[in-house]
Amino acid sequence: MKNFFKTAVSGLALAAMSVGSVSAQCTNDVWNKVMSSGKIVIGVKADYKPWGFRDDSGNLVGMEIDMAMDVAAKMGVEAELVPVQSSNRMQFLEQGKIDMMIATMSDRADRRKIVGIPGPNYYTSGTNIMAPKALGFTSWEDLRGKKVCGKQGAFYNQITEERYGVEIMAFTGNAEAKQALRDRKCVAWVYDDSSIGSDLSSGNWDEFEMPLASEDDNPWGLGVPLNEASCVFGNFMSGMQYNWHRDGSLIALEEKWGIKPTAFLKMQNERNSDWIK
Amino acid sequence: MKRISGINTPLKGGMAVLKPFDINALSPDGYIFTRWLAALPWWTPLVMLAIIWGYPTIAYAQSGLSIYDAFDALWRWMPFLLVSGFSFNVLISFWTLLIGTVAGVALGLGQISTFGPLRAFSWFITQLFRNSPWLVILFIVLLALPFEFTLFGQTIRVPDWMKGVFGLSLPIMANISEIVRGAVQSVPTAQWEAAESLAFSRRQILWQIILPQCFKRMLPPWMNWYAILTMATPLCSLLGIEEIITLSRQAMESEDNQPELLVPFYGFALLLFFVYCYPIARLTMRLERHYAVKL
Repeated sequence: MKNFFKTAVSGLALAAMSVGSVSAQCTNDVWNKVMSSGKIVIGVKADYKPWGFRDDSGNLVGMEIDMAMDVAAKMGVEAELVPVQSSNRMQFLEQGKIDMMIATMSDRADRRKIVGIPGPNYYTSGTNIMAPKALGFTSWEDLRGKKVCGKQGAFYNQITEERYGVEIMAFTGNAEAKQALRDRKCVAWVYDDSSIGSDLSSGNWDEFEMPLASEDDNPWGLGVPLNEASCVFGNFMSGMQYNWHRDGSLIALEEKWGIKPTAFLKMQNERNSDWIK
Repeated sequence: MKRISGINTPLKGGMAVLKPFDINALSPDGYIFTRWLAALPWWTPLVMLAIIWGYPTIAYAQSGLSIYDAFDALWRWMPFLLVSGFSFNVLISFWTLLIGTVAGVALGLGQISTFGPLRAFSWFITQLFRNSPWLVILFIVLLALPFEFTLFGQTIRVPDWMKGVFGLSLPIMANISEIVRGAVQSVPTAQWEAAESLAFSRRQILWQIILPQCFKRMLPPWMNWYAILTMATPLCSLLGIEEIITLSRQAMESEDNQPELLVPFYGFALLLFFVYCYPIARLTMRLERHYAVKL
């Protein structure tokens, strides 16, 4: 009996040790949870047309939603989409409220400390401003000391503040920010160049222009739990992104959602394209 | 009425008499908001509608998107905003009232307990949550509560809106607690003495004699707090909870964020809240008058 206990205890200890040594590297908790429950919870934007927004019956649609559905399909699980905001998306992933996110997030060094961002990046955008033509801005330096509208949670708010000494007025929504621009509460609206471009081409902003050279061309990254970035989950998402670039499906999605074609996606597609045609 | 020189008749000689300071005569009562809302005429929403319609026509006469396009967009989004948005605000307000009332009654009875420490504790909790900003409480609750917890091996997910409910319940609980305490203390002490002389125990007096009388007195302030609470539910939008204001923002995003949309969309939300809260306010004031006469 005593022997039996000894064996059992040492066996358990051994088992615990072996589990422990594996867990130091990869436990794949979230991945395993998704696979066993058959459902992945993906954080997407509901306020960033055309990447993630709602149609008028309330369904989430957009380029990133299509990507999210593709991820779920390749994993063979059901997708549950959770709308996230720029200000809470990383917290949601950190808390485990969502399993991963594809939410227009710019890939920044400080963000990689909070969430896992597997490469290659799937999109890129720069920072620019929309300003009245009458003001005739020609360089970022012209904005020094002036009030500029922005959206809460955008990383370039702080950068433009520090670099050019502008005073950022951050709003919760873009409609409010644009209204403030129209009401002349600020001289310009700082945002993504691709978004501003589509606004200007809509014909409703004829007295406005995007006068500056885009800055901080910043790749976008999708997010997985930090400690699974180099485990199954992160590697799987790297594979997904690689294949999207390789087969040109991102370029097709860009066209489908009416986004101005970017040189970044074209270059990625050429670089990764299959050598056997 | 007896004439007292210097108080209710002009002073005739002698020293001026200072009237006693009556704080209740100078500070607004708890109904100030509901009273104001109930006093509005029934056609207020029609005027609001006219302003919502008229204002942008003047303000944006030169801009690209016409006001008709903006209202057309609102028309398309209306069912979604109503069903997925406003009904959520109503749901949040119901749950908040339910939890706030149950906890508030318990806390209010704690405030009139004969057990000193319980009385002090109930008083402290009541004052703490009555005098804290709602938004601060909401933020703390949303960030402090886990998004899921395990109970008896079963993992239960707490949806975001339920956290909003907990957050809003706390100040409601504290205010209901004060209503209960005030109502119980407003019953003349002679009733307690009479009941005691008939050999009722304290619990019997409270449940069978005092509280049934309090019920009528508590009903109007309770409804008053419901109206206030309902109008506070859009606070949840700051926490990303999907209610009417959050969804209105997302709807405007889908319509390319034209500033012309702001007034129609937020005006629609305003109208919904008015239509919902106005009858409650009217009924509250009617009940208040009704019971005030009877007492």
